[in-house]
Amino acid sequence: MTTMTNPAPDTFTTGSAERRATADRAARRWRHARRALGAVAALAAIALPALTGPYLITLAATAIVLALLAMSTQLLAVAGLPSFGQTTYLGIGAYTAALLAAAGITNGPALLAAAAGTAALAAAVLAPFVLRTRGVTFLMVTVMIQGLAVAVAVHWTSVTGGDEGRHTPAVTLWPGDPLTSTPVIYWYTLTAFAAVGVGTAWLMRSRLVLLLRAHAGHEPRMTALGHRATLELGAGYAAAAAISGAGGALLITINTYVSPADISFGVAAAGFAAAALGTALAGFPTMTGALVAAVAIVVVRDWAGSDGTGPLLLGLLLLTVPYLRPAVLRLRARRVNRPGAAA
Amino acid sequence: MSTLASYAVTALGGLAYGLLLFVLAAGLALIVGVMNVMNLAHGASYLAGTYLAYLLTDGTLASLGIAVLAGITVAGLGGAALSVLMRPLKGHTEQAVVTLGLGFIAAWIFTRVSGGTTLVPPRPAILDGHLSVAGHGYPVYHLSFIAVAAMLAAAMHAILHHSLTGIRLRAAVDDPQMADATGLSAARIRTAALAVGTVLAVTAGVLGAPVLSPGPGVDSTVLTLSLIVLILAGPGVRIRNLLIAAISVGMIQTLGVITFPTLASFSLLLAVIAALIIRGRHGLQAVATA
Amino acid sequence: MSTVLLHLDEISRRYGAVTALHPLSLTIPTGARHAIIGPNGAGKTTLLHLIAGTLAPTEGRIVLNSRPITRLSPAARADLGVGRTFQHPAVVDQLTVADNVALAIRRRLTFAVHQRAGHRALRAARVAAALQQVGLTGEAATLAGQLPYGRRRLLEIAVVLAARPRLLLLDEPSAGLDPAEISHLTAVIRALPAEVTVVLVDHHLPLVFDLADTITVLASGQHVATGGSEQIRNDALVRDAYFADTTPATTRAPRKGARPTVLDIEQLSAGYHGAPVLDQVDLTVSAGTVHALLGLNGAGKSTLINVVAGLHPARAGTRILLDGTDLRASRTARHRVALVPQGRRLWTALTVSEHLAMAAAAGRRFGAGDGPGRDVADILDMLPVLRNKLRRYPAQMSGGEQQMLAIARALLLRPRLLLLDEPSEGLAPQIIDQLTTVITGVANDGVAVLLAEQNQRFARAVADQISVLDSGHIEFTATTAVLARPDAQARLAELLGVSTAGTVA
Repeated sequence: MTTMTNPAPDTFTTGSAERRATADRAARRWRHARRALGAVAALAAIALPALTGPYLITLAATAIVLALLAMSTQLLAVAGLPSFGQTTYLGIGAYTAALLAAAGITNGPALLAAAAGTAALAAAVLAPFVLRTRGVTFLMVTVMIQGLAVAVAVHWTSVTGGDEGRHTPAVTLWPGDPLTSTPVIYWYTLTAFAAVGVGTAWLMRSRLVLLLRAHAGHEPRMTALGHRATLELGAGYAAAAAISGAGGALLITINTYVSPADISFGVAAAGFAAAALGTALAGFPTMTGALVAAVAIVVVRDWAGSDGTGPLLLGLLLLTVPYLRPAVLRLRARRVNRPGAAA
Repeated sequence: MSTLASYAVTALGGLAYGLLLFVLAAGLALIVGVMNVMNLAHGASYLAGTYLAYLLTDGTLASLGIAVLAGITVAGLGGAALSVLMRPLKGHTEQAVVTLGLGFIAAWIFTRVSGGTTLVPPRPAILDGHLSVAGHGYPVYHLSFIAVAAMLAAAMHAILHHSLTGIRLRAAVDDPQMADATGLSAARIRTAALAVGTVLAVTAGVLGAPVLSPGPGVDSTVLTLSLIVLILAGPGVRIRNLLIAAISVGMIQTLGVITFPTLASFSLLLAVIAALIIRGRHGLQAVATA
Repeated sequence: MSTVLLHLDEISRRYGAVTALHPLSLTIPTGARHAIIGPNGAGKTTLLHLIAGTLAPTEGRIVLNSRPITRLSPAARADLGVGRTFQHPAVVDQLTVADNVALAIRRRLTFAVHQRAGHRALRAARVAAALQQVGLTGEAATLAGQLPYGRRRLLEIAVVLAARPRLLLLDEPSAGLDPAEISHLTAVIRALPAEVTVVLVDHHLPLVFDLADTITVLASGQHVATGGSEQIRNDALVRDAYFADTTPATTRAPRKGARPTVLDIEQLSAGYHGAPVLDQVDLTVSAGTVHALLGLNGAGKSTLINVVAGLHPARAGTRILLDGTDLRASRTARHRVALVPQGRRLWTALTVSEHLAMAAAAGRRFGAGDGPGRDVADILDMLPVLRNKLRRYPAQMSGGEQQMLAIARALLLRPRLLLLDEPSEGLAPQIIDQLTTVITGVANDGVAVLLAEQNQRFARAVADQISVLDSGHIEFTATTAVLARPDAQARLAELLGVSTAGTVA
C-alpha cells in the first residue's frame, strides 16, 4: 500500500539508454506484481472472518494495532530518528479512548479522532525536549520514555486503574448498536486501519515528509536554508504519535480493556522491530515493509509461538533478518539489473 | 522519633538501590560510549546474573564468590560474542534489533526455567540478618552490598583516571581513529568495552538480587533506570557524575515510590527533561561546526 | 548606491585558549563581491561561520541591514536572507536534484501541508529556473548522491540561489573542481543579480581576482589588509603573509649519501563520496629526509596522508610499502608510522602527561631495538614548552602548544615514518620557526618525514624534496635546490595559484 516515493538506492548506473529501458521495464513488472500481491492480501484480509474462526480474527486485529505502531515508528525512521517509545502514544490514545468510553462517548470514529489528537498533542509537548537529541541518544531517550510511560500507567491509578487496567464499554458506530460480534469489530478495525493507511500514504507524498527526509539526510543544509529542525521534525513526531494514538483507540475497540501490559517493553520492542525489519528487507524505510514485518511478527510470535515459544521464535527472527540485508540488497539489484529481464 | 529512623532504613535501601543502578549504568555507559551501540539486552544481562546466583549459591559466602566468578566468565565471553555479532551491522537500529533479539531469547529461557515466578537466590548466612542501631534493624546484606559497590566505584575511578588502561579507554571514547593511530586496536577496545560492560551488568545481577528482586519485567525496569542515570550523568564515562545520578534515582525510586508513587515516576521524567535541556545539543553542535 | 548590508563590529572567536579570530571589523556594502583570503588556519571559515550563525562570536556584534543579528540562530539568519555553501557540497544525497532545490523554496514558517495547486506550480517553476541557472536541468530526476563532485557543488549553489538570498556566503566553492568546472562556476557567480551581495572564501586566487571587487586578507586569525584587488596584489604586508613566500627563511643544507627508501607508494588512488581525489599517485620517502607535498586546498594532500596513516581507505590497485613490506591500514602504529593530523586531533579528556604516557607505552611495545629510542624525558627536553603544562588539558593550551603536543605524541611512537598534515596551520611565525627546528632534528635522527603543507616558506625550509599535487596528480617533484631556479619558480607559482598572471581582467 503506502510505499514512500523513495527511489531504490543505486540500482543502476546512468549508462546506456537501452540498459535503463530494460531496468525500467523490470521495475514496472515488479510494481505490477506488487500491486497484484497487495490486492490479494487486501481481499484476504476482508474475507478473513468468512475463512477462519474467532481466534485468527483476533490475531489479525492484533496485527493491525502492531502495524499502526510499526508505521508510526517508520515515519520517524524516515526522518532519521530511531524511536523505541511509540507505545507511549499508543497508551495515551488507548487511555484517552477508555476514559471517554467510560464517560459515555463510545462512538468509534470519535474515539479514533480523540485518541489520535491527544497523542499528537502529547507528542507536540514532549517534542522540543526529545528532539534535542539524535541518533543513538534519541534511541536511548525513547527507550527511557517507554519505561517511564509504563511506570506512570502503573502508578497513576486514579486515571489508569494501575496494574488492574481499565475495562470499557463496547464501541458503537453512529447511530448503531454496540459492536460485539468478532467479525464486525474486525471489519470496523480494518476499515479504520485503511483510513489511517490512506492518510499515511498521503502524508508520505506530502512536503512534510520531503522535509523530514531532508533533515535525516543533511540537517546543517536544512538549517542554513532557514528550516527549523525542532519545528519540522516535531510536526513529524506529532504525526507519528497520531498514527500510534489511532492504534490505541483500535486496541480499545478490539479488547474493550487496556492495561500497562499493552504498552510494555515487549510491545514496544515488537513495534520497533517491525519497522526495523521492514527497513532491512526493503533497503530503506518503507511503510509497506513495516506493515509486512508487523504481520510476520504476529504470525511468528502469536501463531507459530502460541505454545509459549513465541519470544524465542521472535528473538531468532530478530537475530537473522538484519544479517540477510546484504543478500536482499544484492537480490534486488540483480532483479532490476538483469539484462533482458522484461524481454 | 522513630519515623526518622524508619526513613533512615528506607534511605539505606535507596542507597543500595542507587549503587546497584550505578554498576548497571556504568556498564551501559561503557557500551554506549565506546561502541555507540544501544544494548537493549542490558536488562536481560542483569536477569542472567540473578539466575546464575540462584543456580550456584547455597547460602555460603564461598558459593557467592563462585557465582561471581562464573558470572564474570560467562559475561565476558557473551560480551565478546556480542561484539562479533555487531561487526557486520550498519546503523543504530539494526544493532538495537539484534540486541533485542538476544534479550527476547534470554527472557524466554528465564521464564522457562523459573516458570514465571520470582527466583530469589539465598543470601549468604553470614550476611543474613540485621544490624540493630537505635532500635531499628538495618539488613546486613544491604550494608555489605553498599560497601562492595562503593569499592567497585572507587576501583573504577582509579582505573579510569590513574592507569594506562583508563587513559586508553578515554582516548578510545574521545577519538577512536587517533587511538588506533597511536597503537591501540580499535576492534580490541570495542570488544573489551562490550565484555566489561556486560560483566558489570551480570555482576550486578549476581550480587544485587536481594536488593532488586528478579522477576518478569525487571529487565526492562533495569534498562529504563540505567538509561535515566546515563542521561542525567551526561556524555562520556564519568564515574562521579554516574554515581551522583544513580544515587539520586535510587533514592527517588525507594523514598519517592513509598511516599508519593505517582509523583516519583513523573519526577524522574521531569529530571530527565531538565537534563535534556541542559546537555542535549552537544552532539549536534559538533556536526554543525565540523 | 553603497548602502551597508553587513557590518561586523570587532567580532572575535576563541576556542579555549586558542584564538581562531582576533577582533575584526568589516563593512560590506550591498552588491559587493567581497573575497576573504589567507593561508589555512587564518580564520576564514570561522569568519564565515560567525556570519552564518553556526558559531557564536566570543565578542563583538554583527549587523545585517541595520539589524543586529549577533544572537540569531542560523535558521533565523536564513530568513533574513543569508544563504551559504559548505566546504563539502551540502546537498541531501537521498533526494533528487529537483527535490533538493524544492527544499529551498518555502513560505516562511509554513509546512505547506495544505498545498494549493497554484503553490505547487509556482514552486515547480522556481525549481526549473534555479536548475537552468546552473545548467542542471537535464539531471533534475537524478539522485543528488549520484552526481559527480563538481555537479554536486553546482547543485548546492542552485539550492542556495533558489532561496533568493541577499547575502551569499561561499566557502571554498572551487575546491575539488577542475578548470572547466571552475570557469563554469565563475560564470554562474558573475551572472548573479547585482543586488545580491557575495562573500567568498577561496584559495584559488585567479577566481578570487576574477570575481572580487574587495579582498580581505587574514593570517593566523588576524586581519592583514582589506582593499581593492589591485591594492591587495601590491601590498607589501600581504605579499609577506601570503603571496611572497617564494624566498625561504633558511635553505636546507642538502643531506649527503645514499639513503634507503622507507615509504614507497605505488599507484595510490582514493576518493570521497564517489569523487576521485587521488589518481594513481607514485611517491617515495627516504630515511632521514623530509618530503613535502604542496598543493591547493582540495588537491588531495590530506587524503594522501590519511590513506598512508590508515585513516582513509585506498582504492583497489594501490600499493603502500614500508621498508619493502605491505603496510596494513589497521596496524600503522605497529609498523611505526606516526601521524600528526590536521587540526591536531588531541584527546579532549586527556591531560598532556596522559597523552604522553599513552604514546610512550605504544612506542615501547612496537618500537623496540632500532631507530631513535625516545621516552617522555627526551621529548620534554626536545619540546620544553610542554614541561610545565603536564597537567593541562588541550583546551587550556595555545595552538602552538597543542601542535607541539601532537608532535610529541607522534614521536613517542618511535616512528620510522612521520606523517604531518598541515602542521603550520594557524601558527604564528616564531612558532613555525620552532617547528622547523624540531622537524629538521627528527629527520637528522634518521626518520623519514612526509609533510603536507600550504605554507611554501615553511615547506622549503624543512624539505629535501617537494612534490606539487594538483587535482589528484603529482605535477612535479624536485629537490629544494632545483626549486630555486626561475623556471621551477614560475611553474610552482602557476600551480599554487600565487601568481596573478592567469587572472582574467
